[in-house]
Amino acid sequence: MKRSPLQMTQDRRLRLIGLRLLLLIVVIGIWGIGSLGAPAFILPSPRRVFGVWTQLVITPGFWADFGITFYRIAMGFIFATVVGVVLGLLLGASRTLGDFFQPLLVVINTVSSSIWAIFALIWFGLSNWSTIFVVFMTAMPLILTNVWQGTSTVNRDFIELAQTFRMSRLQVLLKIYLPTILPQFFAGARLAFGFGARVSIVAEALGASSGIGYRLRQAADLVQTDQVFAWTLTLVILMIFIEAVLLKPLETRLFAWRKPRPA
Amino acid sequence: MSVVQLESVGKSFMRRDGEQLEVLRNIDLDVPERSIVALVGASGCGKSTLLNIVAGLIPPDQGTVYLNGQKSSAFRDWRSMTYMFQEDRLFPWRTTAQNIALGLEAAGMPRAERRDRVMQVLELVGLEKFADSFPHELSGGMRSRAALGRSLVTEPSILLMDEPFSKLDPSIRTQMHDEVLRIAALRQMSVLFVTHDVEEAVVLANKIVVLMPRPGRVKETREIDLPYPRNPLSPEVAEEVRLLRLSL
Ligand SMILES: Nc1ncnc2c1ncn2[C@@H]1O[C@H](COP(=O)(O)OP(=O)(O)OP(=O)(O)O)[C@@H](O)[C@H]1O
Ligand SMILES: [Mg+2]
Repeated sequence: MKRSPLQMTQDRRLRLIGLRLLLLIVVIGIWGIGSLGAPAFILPSPRRVFGVWTQLVITPGFWADFGITFYRIAMGFIFATVVGVVLGLLLGASRTLGDFFQPLLVVINTVSSSIWAIFALIWFGLSNWSTIFVVFMTAMPLILTNVWQGTSTVNRDFIELAQTFRMSRLQVLLKIYLPTILPQFFAGARLAFGFGARVSIVAEALGASSGIGYRLRQAADLVQTDQVFAWTLTLVILMIFIEAVLLKPLETRLFAWRKPRPA
Repeated sequence: MSVVQLESVGKSFMRRDGEQLEVLRNIDLDVPERSIVALVGASGCGKSTLLNIVAGLIPPDQGTVYLNGQKSSAFRDWRSMTYMFQEDRLFPWRTTAQNIALGLEAAGMPRAERRDRVMQVLELVGLEKFADSFPHELSGGMRSRAALGRSLVTEPSILLMDEPFSKLDPSIRTQMHDEVLRIAALRQMSVLFVTHDVEEAVVLANKIVVLMPRPGRVKETREIDLPYPRNPLSPEVAEEVRLLRLSL
């Protein structure tokens, strides 16, 4: 009997979940075997890390650190999105502006995030703004570049059609430009979020007195390797959670109009 | 009165090698109120360019365009004219209903009112069942009908169409001809359209303008005085088709 497209999607999803679980078991297995031959301060066993993690989660300070890191990433990302989208659209709309600022963007893109972290430390000291700034400087150029490139894929025929309907500039922006750049924006924002989140840890390790990055450095300074692993695990879980619960469903919803790719 | 009038309109394009390509020369054209005018001519003789000029998308190099008796530059009522392009130009991220609603959104019509109008038009072009489909889920013919719907929903008084029915199969094409004639009569609409199909021109138009290529010039203007509806199998229509073929 032929399976309906819905059933086939479900089949594929089940298969994927199975594969993911298998991968998880393999990774933990190798880690476990590896930890047998190493002292705990080099490579703690999965069981030990899990034990430390469950203890960590119930300390009240954990959620405060977790929360402050998430807050800094989110703030940096939100600023980056607003500035990146507005500037990207502006540069896309005006050729002169685009040509003028192009080299600046290249320069910003070549400056490593760690250098931004050092600048942040100099300018903002030990404060939330250090981390927010670093996340912003990492994420904003990525979003800007994607939005800018997205504007050049706008279909001229659609603009012409809009002209025949005498659509206003704002309408053209909202009804043609925005939907056109959305896939590119989304790809860029996703990348930017990932980079931003990773670099926020470095920033916190250097220039903060709270947050996951700060705790990681503390644990490393005290050679509490199991703690380092536990915090890392926390981060990984946070990122997977955001990807699976926020980004993926949003993407599916926003891009329902796309022609499905052949399986 | 004429809704569209062209006086010795000429247009050249700069080719990429720097040479001037004269596309239209000395075009006089007249679309009387409530008439249907067909433009026929070989591929590349400037038919789409002519419609683009009438729609105000590109300026003519020579001559003048009058819309409702006003110079095109002084014309303000652009929303009373819609243009169905040679390509459907449906937004891939919009459903059929949303695509059709575009012109109403542009005019700032409230959502509730829009819905009724869109429903009517969906029925008119036979796409009620595909209101929520995205363009990639429609056949070529359905896409043309959606594009036609988008041009009709704002109830224009001037409709420009560039080979509107070329992607439809014959039975649906006949149906669309009937619809266009009905809507044109009902809404007192004037139509200027391009076609390759000689029979289509004779069945629909009061007047057929034959263009000849390189550069595009008016070769002949034929008035078709047969009563509607015109049966393509009737001898009168067949005779007009034959005469038109001869002049092409
Ligand atoms: N923007 C442009 N720049 C340069 N040349 C152009 C441009 N638009 C049209 N042309 C040229 O003008 C000529 C007429 O084009 P047009 O599209 O008006 O022809 P057409 O009569 O509509 O043809 P068809 O029946 O194939 O659609 C063609 O030779 C084309 O190459
Ligand atoms: Mg054409």
